[in-house]
Amino acid sequence: MSGNLLHRPPILRRPDGTGGALPALTLITLFFVVPVLALLLRSVTEPVPGLQNYAILFGDGTYARVFFNTFLVATVVTAVTVIVAFPVAWMLAIMPPALGSIVFGIIILSMWTNLLTRTYAWMVLLQRTGVINRMLMDVGLISEPLPLINNLTGVTIGMVYIMLPFMILPLVGTLRAIDPMTLRAAALCGASPFDAFRRILLPLSLPGIAAGGLMVFVMSLGYFVTPTLLGGTSNMMLAGMIAQMIQSLLNWGLGSAAAFILLLVTMALYALQLRLVGAKRMTGGI
Amino acid sequence: MLLDYDRLGWLRAALLGFTGLVAAFLLLPVVFIVLLSFGSSRWLAFPPPSWTLKWYEELFADPAWLNAALTSARIATMAAILAVIIGLMASFALVRGQFRGRNTLRGLLLTPMVLPVVVFAIAIYAFFLRIGLGGTTAGFVIAHTVLALPFAIIPITAALEGFDKSIEDAAIVCGASPFEAKLRVTLPAIKIGIFSAAIFAFLASWDEVVVAIFMASPTLQTLPVKIWGSLRQDLSPVIAAASSLLVLLTLGLMVVTALIRRKLSK
Repeated sequence: MSGNLLHRPPILRRPDGTGGALPALTLITLFFVVPVLALLLRSVTEPVPGLQNYAILFGDGTYARVFFNTFLVATVVTAVTVIVAFPVAWMLAIMPPALGSIVFGIIILSMWTNLLTRTYAWMVLLQRTGVINRMLMDVGLISEPLPLINNLTGVTIGMVYIMLPFMILPLVGTLRAIDPMTLRAAALCGASPFDAFRRILLPLSLPGIAAGGLMVFVMSLGYFVTPTLLGGTSNMMLAGMIAQMIQSLLNWGLGSAAAFILLLVTMALYALQLRLVGAKRMTGGI
Repeated sequence: MLLDYDRLGWLRAALLGFTGLVAAFLLLPVVFIVLLSFGSSRWLAFPPPSWTLKWYEELFADPAWLNAALTSARIATMAAILAVIIGLMASFALVRGQFRGRNTLRGLLLTPMVLPVVVFAIAIYAFFLRIGLGGTTAGFVIAHTVLALPFAIIPITAALEGFDKSIEDAAIVCGASPFEAKLRVTLPAIKIGIFSAAIFAFLASWDEVVVAIFMASPTLQTLPVKIWGSLRQDLSPVIAAASSLLVLLTLGLMVVTALIRRKLSK
């Protein structure tokens, strides 16, 4: 756009709107960077200066369980989301537009519906006397209600539900960008559908799967609402623990130390993702 | 062949069936909540013994719900307006600026979207307590503007990247001031991006729970805080009624968005 800078009239030569970033930079510095840094400072100054908060977090089995649980839930949710999202994205990429727009509409409706509304629905659906248990018992598949809520199952169902759109939408873009010719060529050369899938379609969509999967994993790691409402006390996640430390226990030192660990892991994975796919590809889902 | 819809054979039936199931899974809670809100059972038995409007009556009889909704609407509108204006200005710099650290700046401005909200929530909560903005509308608006900013910047930068700057230059050459050229040439050309930014920024605040839980005071509650509080007490069907109205609002927003997009892209 500025390739022929010298041939342009002088009035157009000045750099455009660099100062425009100032309000945003001020807002983010003052009300994001400073508060977060101040919080992290508290993790090494409260109650007394030193690293004792981190020693407590890493030394205690209770906290180790929370860390383990957080990674477990994020891993399970990511795996399930990828497996469920892939076939849907595949179909959406090649479906006739009329049919596809119905599915897209449903995805957007689910994504835009209030987060608490969706979680509330799952709380009612999954409870002991809920519709799902009643239906399974009426059909005769089970004789006792299944424990579907306040455990890993409940969190996984609720979280996969929320994450699916974030995986499906970018993946559709990746799959649409693959030239159908490559797969026709494979078929002509005698590849079975399974071979074509395993050796062409899957490898070619791997960047999209990796990008989406990493995004889902990072989002799941720090999720607060759904695990708090659908999970039990025995499988508390990191974000829930941080909130509890601050809100109920008023232990700012320990809470900020846990927040710092969450921040560090998230930012490391975010940096990895930027390296993998570039900033623009990552935000293509919106 | 795997990417040819018409030549997938049996695989197409299987994949379509699976897609249908996932679509049903995505639709299930939304439809269920609406049906539930008309059911007469206080214990949320389903299918309900009979149908009723009493949960809606209870909802409208309690002014706390309406107040919370109005508070949410007020905060989300202000946060969306601020985020779009600040985001629009930043987008020009991010797309057209020729300065060092542009990508770093972009990364920094998008960070609020990536950092777990709970970390930001306790940080801003502590910060606002110290500077006296805790539990105030201004505090809410500032915090939500920070969270909404990435959602405004992404669609606007995308639209701006797709806009040919020489058209704006042409207006300047023809005598428009740079500001006038932006206002009358560039902004109308990227209006879809700006419109999407406004919707996303509004939703980012309207739907926000975590910061709101920490910031809320007994006199200042947003709708998600009110729902959260009720959820933690019991699973009253009044929440289903409130939720159904939110679903209705979402549907309305989707229709309006589709219509405006169609109109703007003409």
